[in-house]
Amino acid sequence: MNAALPRKTKTLFIGLDGCTFTVLDEMTRDLPGVGVTMPFMKKILENGVRAKLRSTPNPLTPPAWTSLMTGKGPGVHGVFDFIRAEDKGGEVYWTLYDSRDVDSEMIWSMVSRKKLSCAALNFPLTAPPPKNINGAVIPGFTPAKHLRRNTHPRELFERLKSEVPGFDPKELAWDFENEQQAMDSLGPEETHKWVRYHLPREEQWFRIAEYVLRSDSPDLMAVMFDGTDKIQHQAWPWLDPALLKAEPSEHDRLMREVVLEYFRNLDHYIETLVTLAGPEAQVFFASDHGFTASTEVLRINAYLEDLGYLKWAVSDGSDMAMRREAANFANLDWSGTTAYCRTPSSNGIHIRVAEKPGDHGVPPEQYDAFRDKLIEDLKKLRNEFGEPVVVDVLKRDEWFPGQHMERACDLTLVLRDNGFVSIRNLRPVVVQRPHAAGTHHPDGVFIAYGKGIAKAGEVERRKIVDVTSTLLYSLGTSIPSDLEGEVPQAFFTPEWWAEHPLKKGARTRLEREGSEREDMDAGEKQKMIEQLQMLGYME
Amino acid sequence: MASSDEILVKLTATLKDFTQDWDNEFEGEYQRDTKLLGDLGFESIDIIQFIVAIEEDLGLFKTPFDKLLMKDGRYVDDLSLGQLADFLVAYVK
Repeated sequence: MNAALPRKTKTLFIGLDGCTFTVLDEMTRDLPGVGVTMPFMKKILENGVRAKLRSTPNPLTPPAWTSLMTGKGPGVHGVFDFIRAEDKGGEVYWTLYDSRDVDSEMIWSMVSRKKLSCAALNFPLTAPPPKNINGAVIPGFTPAKHLRRNTHPRELFERLKSEVPGFDPKELAWDFENEQQAMDSLGPEETHKWVRYHLPREEQWFRIAEYVLRSDSPDLMAVMFDGTDKIQHQAWPWLDPALLKAEPSEHDRLMREVVLEYFRNLDHYIETLVTLAGPEAQVFFASDHGFTASTEVLRINAYLEDLGYLKWAVSDGSDMAMRREAANFANLDWSGTTAYCRTPSSNGIHIRVAEKPGDHGVPPEQYDAFRDKLIEDLKKLRNEFGEPVVVDVLKRDEWFPGQHMERACDLTLVLRDNGFVSIRNLRPVVVQRPHAAGTHHPDGVFIAYGKGIAKAGEVERRKIVDVTSTLLYSLGTSIPSDLEGEVPQAFFTPEWWAEHPLKKGARTRLEREGSEREDMDAGEKQKMIEQLQMLGYME
Repeated sequence: MASSDEILVKLTATLKDFTQDWDNEFEGEYQRDTKLLGDLGFESIDIIQFIVAIEEDLGLFKTPFDKLLMKDGRYVDDLSLGQLADFLVAYVK
């Protein structure tokens, strides 16, 4: 934080939410009539190393970024979604996951304990910012009204206001209603406006990153650009080269222009930040998941009803019932339900287990047999072309090991087109979309460039938990022994690797502020198990 | 254990800091009967954030606010600072 100190950023990390090589390769190619949209990124790819990056089992922003920041899977860090909700007698009580729910140490804290400085800009699950961070935290996904209070250190917000030209929290921050539209189906006019809305937002984050990098030069400088994800949700048909029309309409041309403008701007931001970091810095890029086209909709609860696992609640038309339906949360008759999907974003199924004799649900001793039969039933489902809709079913004990495994869905579905399920009570059970929509793909991107980085082209796919270890290695610190990831040796030149041997260190330490955090009582534990996820990935 | 009035003083301080940047037309003093929605223009996301702020400032975590915010299976229409302070008496040491 002192311009007089001759410090220099060692490691620059640029997060690109939902970024995929499908788009990145297109943007770094010389396209007829367009040219190269991202010339600087082209240089990075040509002179650095790249790998696909496998996301968390449910490739969703909160669990995936949290894994990237902690080096641990969701079963260990405990974050599965944006929204935590509980069913309270037919009404949904909902709240947001925040940094205090992350039950593993984040890289910002690991770095600070090593007496290094860091900046973490626009990352989810970093609000409220832990006080033990040596550097700057400006959380992502936080409304403008609450940004100042969630900025660390607090005086940084005032510095931004006075020293960053054009700083505007309203333009920068998370607008809940606006973001919700990413998951809704928009008309042509709204889609164009939606994409354009993200251009100034990214510009704001860029200016802040530029300011922090220039004035503070933290050892680890990290910023996340999230417009990539938001835009791909709504504008995938104008980004995926396989979907571009040979004869575009006027609207198609407008959409193509605005998405190219977005990526052109992004390239400029990246070039400026990389140049500012200087030739001695190592630069890394990663995304929390990739993107692809979803072509069909699976109405999973309707299918479970057909199979006798689920019974819908009968709406009495009351205000409460109407709100319940509008909450995009499965409104069910629990007495007739043994398996159900709570929310679209979970892409998973919960099995109701009878806690005690007389309770509704599956008797505990029958759980394994019930689950096996359910998996079999799910895999039987075919679309109108005879193709399997559910291509894999992940058991939580195999895919979410850790102390928070019970918060995960019993079964996580992998759909043929990687889409998110619908929980609406509509028929038919499987329906083709009129137009392809953007959805999350499990493979994101991991790219490195700079001093000591191998000019190796594409190397073997890595795991998202590898990013934490890799950034720590780049900073020259030891790697905590309990991190799940590994440092990809192929990312570094043989000379660099020989001169910088990998050091294993002590386990991570999760420091809670104050001693007031009490163990959950039985009721709280039940509440946590019954947490509901309802981010609106709506049909 | 802190009294409701003592907690109210702390809530008021948190609230002043919390709403510092807001375009708020409320010009009175924060009182026990000041309503979050009716007087201060809170939206649902503000309530969630305010709960986080309260927990941060009072050193609490995972306080069962649903017991305060939901009555008979539905959300309450509004909430006063006094109601919040009374509720927190059981949780603030």
